[in-house]
Amino acid sequence: MLQVKDSMAREVTTLSPGDTAGDALALCRERRIRHLPVLEDGSLVGIVSDRDLRSATPAFGDSARAAALAEVRVGDVMAREVVTARPDDPIDTAANAMREERINCLPVLEGDDLVGIVTSSDVMESLVYLLGAHEPGSRMEIVVPDRPGTLAGVAGLIGELGVNIVSVVTGPRQVGEPPSRVAVFRVDTINPTHAAGVLEKAGYTVLWPPRP
Amino acid sequence: VTGKAAIVHDNALESYGFGGEHPFNPLRLRLTLELCRDLGLLDSYPQTPSEPATDGDLTTVHSLTYVRMVQAAGRGAARISRLLDYGLGSGDNPVFPDMHEACARVVGGVLESCRLVMRGDAAHAMCVSGGLHHAMRSRASGFCVYNDAGVAIARLKEEHPGIRIAYVDTDAHHGDGVQWMFFEDPDVLTVSIHESGRYIFPGRGEVHEKGRGEGKGYSVNVPLQPYTDDDSFIATFETVVPEALRAFGPDLILSQNGCDAHKLDPLTHLSATTRLYEHLPAAIHDLAHELCEGRWVATGGGGYDIWRVVPRAWSALWAAVSHQQLPKEIPEDWLEKWEAKSPVGLPRLVRDDPADYPAGPRQAEISDKNRRTAEEVIEKVLPLIR
Repeated sequence: MLQVKDSMAREVTTLSPGDTAGDALALCRERRIRHLPVLEDGSLVGIVSDRDLRSATPAFGDSARAAALAEVRVGDVMAREVVTARPDDPIDTAANAMREERINCLPVLEGDDLVGIVTSSDVMESLVYLLGAHEPGSRMEIVVPDRPGTLAGVAGLIGELGVNIVSVVTGPRQVGEPPSRVAVFRVDTINPTHAAGVLEKAGYTVLWPPRP
Repeated sequence: VTGKAAIVHDNALESYGFGGEHPFNPLRLRLTLELCRDLGLLDSYPQTPSEPATDGDLTTVHSLTYVRMVQAAGRGAARISRLLDYGLGSGDNPVFPDMHEACARVVGGVLESCRLVMRGDAAHAMCVSGGLHHAMRSRASGFCVYNDAGVAIARLKEEHPGIRIAYVDTDAHHGDGVQWMFFEDPDVLTVSIHESGRYIFPGRGEVHEKGRGEGKGYSVNVPLQPYTDDDSFIATFETVVPEALRAFGPDLILSQNGCDAHKLDPLTHLSATTRLYEHLPAAIHDLAHELCEGRWVATGGGGYDIWRVVPRAWSALWAAVSHQQLPKEIPEDWLEKWEAKSPVGLPRLVRDDPADYPAGPRQAEISDKNRRTAEEVIEKVLPLIR
């Protein structure tokens, strides 16, 4: 669960360094993709995006465009230093790599074999599933002291009410506030106000929903 | 009697409820109907009874497995671990005896309301027990077991091939169940105006949910900011709903009139008053006459301040459905009967006093955000309706 292999696309469209920019852009259009790994003798040697290809060729309407599309080779414009992921990397590791390198896609290698590709859209999708944002539910935000057992305390009280927890994430509070974390629960109930009341009675600070 | 309004109700419809302290309390129906009666609004309008929906009706939009599960649950013959897979037996949707029968009655009431109007036996009809818009194909959700509007729409589509139905949902919660059932259907326009899913159950209903495939453009969503007041809610409605319905051209309007956007509602964070609940049915009534020879069916929906809000909001709804003037004062008989039972002081007047509902500090900002949302819907969604 939540590994790169759970989110990656397994059918990968690839190029050879000798392919033309025109062919590569046509593939991007046809398959509605933006990133193409480049293989030479089965090994990953580079990656090229539709943006790389477009900036290497004259714009639409330019009379030199057709010639350039047929002339420019993928091998000339591809990035040769490729950041990759492995199938069993946690999805958050892959997301962080994309964020730090400011890229939107990682080819996935098992040994030296290209077995998939994971993009920022895939990460976004796993975020939606992770947070349960596609399932009916209510959002609750609860301040929990940064101490062992407090999250369990909150979850226990919610559970006792017969309310199912769809997802939970916690994050640090804003700078300047006392050391604590905000737990964001997605709960399968239309009536989180009741749970909020129970939690406040037990001493927790509930940021959402508001109390009447 | 052509031109006349029908109120579809019988006391058996008040058996749909979850008991105990559960916020969905069928007492709100009794309070509403007795207020209507004591206001004189039922004098010429006997209640029309209805038959429970059949398994065949229910399975137009629900899976047979789910219907069997609800039946078993109501007989006490289902394991709790299995029930939870169908959204049953949770804090929101606890099992109660004979729940299938009670739920099927609600669906039957709305179905009968629709048939009365389609046959021309009534110009408009109201069934306040209906409006259980969260129920999914195989899952109970948000106090809703069977989706009355979903079944009624699906049945009408069978009985009147080619019919176009506009479903207008002004409950504070997104009408997700009905939306998903007809998400790919260009003959069913669903319009839902609700508190944004960022802040409230079920967490959906963003502008970009606009239908799929052939149905693209036929799911219209307008998420509102928390603390939205009457003026902004009404402005949003008037910006979006008439234009959407005119573009669509319905043969029937089915409205879900949940009244939980009221400031006093304990489950939501909107700031409406009874003014909204007079405006909305009047506006829908006008649209029904303008667009589909008056064919309009109104249901209830959410509404959890059962003492102060629901009876007054739905009496106003019935007054609009039945072309009657809404009196000013709450009758003494009604107050006398219920005062002692109510945990809160009961209002003396049918309409809220605006002085009791001063504008909040961020009202201008909230209204501005809502206006932008409505404009986005006008630009991006309504042009897709053909």
